Amino acid sequence: MTRSRGATMHVILNTYTRTSRTGLLLLCLGLLGGCAGTQSRNTDPVGDPWEGYNRKMHAFNMGIDKVARPVAVGYDRITPDPLQRGIGNFFRNLAYPVTLGNQILQGKFVAGIESTARFLVNSTVGLLGFFDVATKAGLPQYDEDFGQTMAKWGWDDSRYFVLPLLGPSTVRDGLGFSFFGYYNPVSWYAREEHVYWPMALDLLQIRASLLPQDKALYEAYDPYLFLRDAWLQNRAYLIHDGEPPSPDYEDYLDEVED
Amino acid sequence: MRLSLLGGGLLGLALCVSCPAQGADLREPAQLVSETAGKILDSLNSRGAEFEAQPELMEDLVRNDLLPVLDVHYSARLILGREVRSASEAQVKALADAMSNVLIERYARGLLQYRNREQLEVMPLRGELNERMTRVRTRVRMTNGNHIPVDYVFHKTDDGWKAFDVIVEGISYVTTYRNQIMPEVQATGIDAVIARLGRGELLLNEQK
Repeated sequence: MTRSRGATMHVILNTYTRTSRTGLLLLCLGLLGGCAGTQSRNTDPVGDPWEGYNRKMHAFNMGIDKVARPVAVGYDRITPDPLQRGIGNFFRNLAYPVTLGNQILQGKFVAGIESTARFLVNSTVGLLGFFDVATKAGLPQYDEDFGQTMAKWGWDDSRYFVLPLLGPSTVRDGLGFSFFGYYNPVSWYAREEHVYWPMALDLLQIRASLLPQDKALYEAYDPYLFLRDAWLQNRAYLIHDGEPPSPDYEDYLDEVED
Repeated sequence: MRLSLLGGGLLGLALCVSCPAQGADLREPAQLVSETAGKILDSLNSRGAEFEAQPELMEDLVRNDLLPVLDVHYSARLILGREVRSASEAQVKALADAMSNVLIERYARGLLQYRNREQLEVMPLRGELNERMTRVRTRVRMTNGNHIPVDYVFHKTDDGWKAFDVIVEGISYVTTYRNQIMPEVQATGIDAVIARLGRGELLLNEQK
């Protein structure tokens, strides 16, 4: 799920910026400018120095979601679960070039071979990726993108940066998406052939798969913070290939005792 | 984006532990996790239809099985951070209770949703048992073959080992709530936070 969302981010970012790069930039700058010096609070000056801008972009994205969510709910209602799983698998399988490229850049050659085997098995036996037979056969699914590669290369900490439409990101990961998204077949197809429905379907499926999690987000005290912290923690988990450092609980308590 | 800590956490927590709370429990963390997970899954499989008809029975089951092995008070202190200094013992306890109620309710809901779909694998412990923090790694297998990693963080108390954090795909329950609740307590005071937790109040950001 994570990877397919990443893949789609590449997709939209590329298509989107291509068609309205200037408008997008203006929007970002406008929001950045609008809040400069007037931030009421900053919950994490180190990791999220642009909180004022980020909160505005988050609100903008939530506004867009008011339209996107009902569409996803309708789609979810008429599309049986197995079909949804198949569609999700299909698009995730297509993210293979991005995954492989980044595995090579990180020197993960064995994993790269596994991903290749996965892609071949799922594309054939799995009927163009619709069925994820590889996972059942014990070929793990890896999740790599250029943001993670740059983190491995030493860009450990990057400030949080909410992207228009795409949501949570960092400067590093936003750049990563725009570089490697170019090689995602779905975005390629949209760009070269001007056929957009596969991308729309990918997005729709991703939004639908997130529906069960909406409640937790809406129930959060501060949905912006909830999304930011959960996203950043999950991102660290991906960068460290599932072995991020444990939270520093002692430090949480030190604050109590100091 | 499997962001929902709670969405996934339910699933994970569902498989957490239950044990009779008679005297100090001598069982070790990994053993606690696998024994009680088996127990909860058994009752789910045998009484699934009943629970579906009466979700509150499910909550009772989770409450009885889960609470004895959680150290919600410690979680609450971690979440409150330095704000604990301005809170009374009773307030910390009230916050811990309110949080565990929310957790149990969500967890029971999630269990019903995922029933029969999961299978738990408790990974071998790495290194020595650490009394201040021992992380038990588990993987929940979904029907499509995917694994969701769910870790339980235990520490040793006078009553035996207790879990105080759940980490689902790298997302820590304690850390995420800490970052939300601390500023909220600063802004509105601990009693207001407890009350809002108790009401299960929805906060829709886009309406602000």
